[in-house]
Amino acid sequence: MKISKNWLSHYLTHDLSDNQLNRALTFSGIEVEATQVMPRLPEELISAKVVTASAIEGSDHLKVCQVDANDPAGLLQVVCGAANCRSGMMVVLARIGAVLGDLTIKKAKLRGVESFGMLCSEREIGLSEEHGGIIELPADTPIGVSANELFGLPDTVFELEITPNRSDLLGYIGIARDLSANLGLPLKLPEIKEITEFAKETLPLKLRIDEPELCPRYTARLFSDVVIKASPLWLQVDLIKSGLRPISNVVDITNFVMLEQGHPLHAFDYDKLQKENAGDEGPAVIVRKAKPLESFHALNKKDYQLRDIDLVIADGQNPSALAGVMGSSDSAISSGTTRIVLESAAFNPSSIRRTSYHHKISSDSSYRFERHLSPECTIVTSLRATEMLIKYAQAKVASELMDPYPLVDRVKYLALRPANFERLIGYPMDTQQIKSYLTRLGCKFIKEGAWQKDALEDAAQIPAVTADKPAALWFKVPQNRVDLVREADLIEELARLDGYDKIPMKTPPSRIMDHHANRIQEIVSRHFVSQGFFEVLNYSFNDPASLQDLGMDPEINTQKLINPQSSNQSIMRVSLLPGLLENIRYNLNHYERDLKLFELARIYPEDHETEPLRCTALLTGNKGETHWKYKTNALDFSIVKGIMESLVELLDLQVDKVAEYRAPWLMQANSLAWYVKDEPVLLMGLMDAEVCEKFGIDLGTLDQQLWMIDIDLHRLIELTRNVELTYRDLPRFPAVYRDLSFLVPESEKWLAISEYVKSVEPELISGVQLLDQYRGKQVPQGFRSLHIRFKLQDEEKTLTEERIEQIVASVIEVLTKQCNIQMR
Amino acid sequence: MHTQLEELVAKAEENIAACRTPNDILDARAAYLGKKSVLNGLYARLRELAPEERPAFGQLINEARAKIETLIAAQDKEIKNAIRAQQVQQELDLGMPGWMSPFGSLHPVTIVRRKIEAVFMSMGFEVAQGPEIEDEYHNFDALNTPQDHPSRNLADTFYLQNGKLLRTQTSTVQIRVMEKYKPPIKIISPGRCYRNDKPDPSHSPVFQQVEALWVDKGISMSDLKDSLQNFATAMFGVDVKSRIRPHFFPFTEPSAEMDISCVSCAGEGCRVCKQSGWLEMGGAGMVDPAVLEMVGIDPEIYSGFAFGLGIERIAMLKYNIGDMRILFENDVRMLRQFRGESL
Repeated sequence: MKISKNWLSHYLTHDLSDNQLNRALTFSGIEVEATQVMPRLPEELISAKVVTASAIEGSDHLKVCQVDANDPAGLLQVVCGAANCRSGMMVVLARIGAVLGDLTIKKAKLRGVESFGMLCSEREIGLSEEHGGIIELPADTPIGVSANELFGLPDTVFELEITPNRSDLLGYIGIARDLSANLGLPLKLPEIKEITEFAKETLPLKLRIDEPELCPRYTARLFSDVVIKASPLWLQVDLIKSGLRPISNVVDITNFVMLEQGHPLHAFDYDKLQKENAGDEGPAVIVRKAKPLESFHALNKKDYQLRDIDLVIADGQNPSALAGVMGSSDSAISSGTTRIVLESAAFNPSSIRRTSYHHKISSDSSYRFERHLSPECTIVTSLRATEMLIKYAQAKVASELMDPYPLVDRVKYLALRPANFERLIGYPMDTQQIKSYLTRLGCKFIKEGAWQKDALEDAAQIPAVTADKPAALWFKVPQNRVDLVREADLIEELARLDGYDKIPMKTPPSRIMDHHANRIQEIVSRHFVSQGFFEVLNYSFNDPASLQDLGMDPEINTQKLINPQSSNQSIMRVSLLPGLLENIRYNLNHYERDLKLFELARIYPEDHETEPLRCTALLTGNKGETHWKYKTNALDFSIVKGIMESLVELLDLQVDKVAEYRAPWLMQANSLAWYVKDEPVLLMGLMDAEVCEKFGIDLGTLDQQLWMIDIDLHRLIELTRNVELTYRDLPRFPAVYRDLSFLVPESEKWLAISEYVKSVEPELISGVQLLDQYRGKQVPQGFRSLHIRFKLQDEEKTLTEERIEQIVASVIEVLTKQCNIQMR
Repeated sequence: MHTQLEELVAKAEENIAACRTPNDILDARAAYLGKKSVLNGLYARLRELAPEERPAFGQLINEARAKIETLIAAQDKEIKNAIRAQQVQQELDLGMPGWMSPFGSLHPVTIVRRKIEAVFMSMGFEVAQGPEIEDEYHNFDALNTPQDHPSRNLADTFYLQNGKLLRTQTSTVQIRVMEKYKPPIKIISPGRCYRNDKPDPSHSPVFQQVEALWVDKGISMSDLKDSLQNFATAMFGVDVKSRIRPHFFPFTEPSAEMDISCVSCAGEGCRVCKQSGWLEMGGAGMVDPAVLEMVGIDPEIYSGFAFGLGIERIAMLKYNIGDMRILFENDVRMLRQFRGESL
C-alpha cells in the first residue's frame, strides 16, 4: 500500500521528517518497503493554457502550440509531441531554465520550429510513471499557478507492507491512528456533516441479503442528479500518489474514501439495474450466491463463468458485481450516469478469498475484504462518500440510508492482567500506562474485574474481583480491530507501542571471555598435533642452572620462590625450553628416536604485567614413521620451515619480513624469525649440540639434529586480534606461466632472487615458484642451478604473447644484472 | 569432392582402429570432427556445388560424420574397457599398511580441560582467565580466609621473594571478575594452581583446576545441582549420578562437597571408590555473603554458586590412570595413546 506523507498529514498532526516517519512506521510493525521522494519542482513550472495547437508540416506527431502563461511578452511558442495535446487545454508548462532531473529546458528548434519550453507529462514532473500524454489540468485552473501548489509538492510516498492480521491499517486513517497511539500525537478525523438537503424525489430500491453468513451487512444509499466529470485536481493527485488512476468523480470518490477509511465502496448506475419482478416499484439489489454457470462481464472487460459458491450483488436478473471483488461493466458508472446506488458492505473474508483466487481477479477491494473488515465501518464510510458526492458530483440524496444488518458484529470485552505483561515481555508496565496506550488505540477501559480467559460480549457479565482469582483490567475492544481477541493480543499492542527497544536484555552479551585468544591457542596446538607433535606439561618452574646452560642469566627478569621444594624448582619459569629438553632426554633414553614435542603454557618474566603465553617445540629424528613404500627422511630445515609456513597460512598472518635470528642456544646461520609489525613472532632454529649436551642429549652420537620452534603466543594473539579476511574477486583473465632455468652463484639467496623477479612487474607477476635446485656434474663449483616458474596475470585484460616475451626478457635482464645469473 | 569424402572416411576408419590410448581418441576426435577438421570444411564448400546437388551432398557429409562418431565412440569404449580389465588383474596386497601423515596428541590433561570448557560453554558459561602469581588479598582475604588459617602456611602455599604467592585455587579469578563486572556473571576459570605438596600418586605441587561461578538474581543451590549433574552427564555419561553433601569452606555458605557415582563400578563399590560407590569431585557452595559484599555486590539482591574441580583427578578417573605422576613424565608412549581424543 502506498501512502503520501502530505495526505497522511491531514489526519495526524506532526512535524516528522521522512526518516522519523519511516522509523515510527517500522517500530509500529508497519514495514516500509520503499520510499519515493517527490522533490519540490522548479518555479519555472506553472499552469498554462494551450491557445492553439497545430500540426507541424512533415512531422507525424509534433505540434506547434501557442501557450498563454501570463507572460508579459505574450504567447509562448512551444513544440509538443504528445497525442493528447490540443488547443484549449490547460497544461503544465516548463519554461526555459527549468531543471527536471538531468533535463534542462532550453530554447530549442524542432523541425525548424522554435520552442520556448516543454509541456509536461506526469513522469516528467516525477508524479508517476505515466508518460502516455501530457497532463491535462482541469479547465478552471487559473493560469500561472506553480506546479508545486497544483500537485502538493514536495511530498514523500511510502510503500508499506501491512501484515495480514491488521485489516485496520488498510487506509490512511488506520495508519494515522496507529502512529498517533504510538507517538502520542493528535489524531484528526474528517468531520462528517449531517445531510440536510435531499432530492425532491426519493427513488425506490428493493434491497435484500439472501446470504447473511457471507454478507453480514449491506449499507446502501441512492443519489440522483449526479454530474459525471473529472475530479478536482487535488483528488486526482492524491489518487495518483497512492498508485491509482483517476477516472471520473464518482469512481474517484469511492476510491478516495476506500484509501482514507480502509473500507471499499462500490457505485452502480441505478438506471442500469433491473427489477426482480415486473410489478416491483424499483430495481433490485440482491446479495445472493451465483447461479451455476451464470456469466459475468467484469469491469476489466473479461468474462467469468461463476460457480454457485461465488457471492454476487445482483440486480433483479443478473449479477452486477462479484461481491467485494469487482463490478460488472453492465452496471458501471459511465459519462451518462445520473442516478447511482452507493454500496458500503461487509463480506466474509474466506468467501472473497476463494472467489478472488479461483477467478484470478484481485482488486484493491478484494485485497481489503480478504483481510476481514469489520461490518461496523460501513456507515461511516458511506456517510463520508455521501458528503463528497454532494460536493464534487452535485449529487442529491435520493433515499434514506438502507442498512440491512442481519449478522450483527458483537462488541468484545477482554481482560488483561498487568502482571502478565511483565511475565511475557520482561519488564513491568503500570496500570495507568496500560490504560493510556490502549485508549489511544480506541479501546475503552470498563472496570477492574476478575480475570477470565475468554472474551465477553456484555460488560454486565464481567466477574467481580475475588480473593482467589487474579485481578484484571477489562477493556472494550474497538470493532475495527478484528485481530484483538485474547489477552496476549493486548499485551502485544502494549509492547509494540512502548517500543521493542525498551525490552531489557537479561543476560548481557559475552564480555568476559577472550574468544580470540582461545581460538588462536586452539589453532596453534591443533596445528602442532596435526603435524605429529605431542603436547607435554611441565611444572611452572625453572632451574637456575638450566637457564645458565642456555646462556641466560637467572638473576635478570625472574621471580624466585621463597620455599621451593628443591633448588632446581626455585624460579618461576621464563623459558619452556629446559623442560622440553628434559622431555627429549627422557624419551631418547626410552629408545624413542623420532620425537616431536611441544608445550603451550604461560611464562612468568618479572617485567611482564600479564603472564604471557608461549608455545615452544622441539623435534628430532625422522620426519615421519617408516613406511614400506614412501621412504622417510631425516628432518632438515625445509621440513621445519614448512611447519612454520603452514602455520602462517592457518593464521592468515601478514608477515612483513623473514630474517635470520640469533639466540645463544641456536646454531648461527641456521635460524629464522617471522616478523609481524617488526616483532619476531615465530622462531625456528637448529639447537646447538654443545648446549644439548649440557642437558644430557648427545646428538653427535645419535647422529640426529634437534630443531626448535618458538612462538610468542602472547604477541601472536594481539597481532591477529580484529584482523579480518577479505575475499578478492576471482581473476577474469587467464594466468600464464613461464619457466626459466639458470645458474646462480651460491652467494645469491632465493629470497632475494624471487623478490627481484617480482620487482620487474609487481602488478603482473603474481607468484614465483621454485621448481628445482641442482648441484652436480654440469654445474660449475660455486654455483647452483635453479629452475623457476613465475605466474603472470593481468586483472584488466588477457596478456599478449608479445608482452609476455617482453616481461621474460626483463626478468632475465634484471637477474643477470643483480644476481649474476647465467642462462642455461 | 565425393572422392575426397570417401577417402576421408576410409582414412578415418584406419586411424581410429589404430587408437590405443584415451589421448589418441581425443586427437582423432579433433582431427575428424573438430572445428578445423576437413569434414567440417566440406560444409563450407557446399556452395561450390550446383544448388540442386547441395542437399544430397550435405546429407552425405552428415552420414560420414555420424559414421565417424560411432567408430570413435566404439573404439573409446574398447580402450577404456581394457584399462578397467587391467585394474582388476593387478595383484594388490591390500593387507599392507597404508600411508598416513603421522599426527601427535594433546596432553590428556589438556584434553579433559577442553572437554570441561566445552561442556560449560554449552551451558552458557564464559571462560575467564586470571594470573597465577597472586597477592594474598585475592587468594585468601577476599575469599574470607581467616588470618591464621593453616592454608596460609609456607608448608602449604608457595611464596615468592617479591611478596606475592602462587594461587592455591582458581577462585581468585572469581574475585577478579566480580571486581570488574556486575552480575549476571556466569564463568568458569580453568588454570594452573600450586600447593606445596610432595608429588605422590594423588598429589602434585602443580595441578589444574576449573572453577565455576554463577551470580545473578535468584540463583540457588538448585542451580548448582543442575550444573553439576549436567557436567557429570556430559563428562561420564547419562548413567552417572551426582550428589552434594554438607562440608565447610570459608568462602561459601552453605558449603558442600560434590560426589559422582563411581564411574568404575557404577556405584556398586570397588577399589577406585574405596567401596563407597561415590567419587569426590570437589568443593562447592553458595558464595558467602561476605565475599559478595567484599566485591561490592549486594547479597540481598544477588546470589550465586561456585564450585571447583581438579582436572588431573577427572583425567585420571576418565582414562583410568592410577598415578598422577604419570601425567608429568611426558612419556611419548603414554601421550601416543591420546591421539584419538586430540583433534
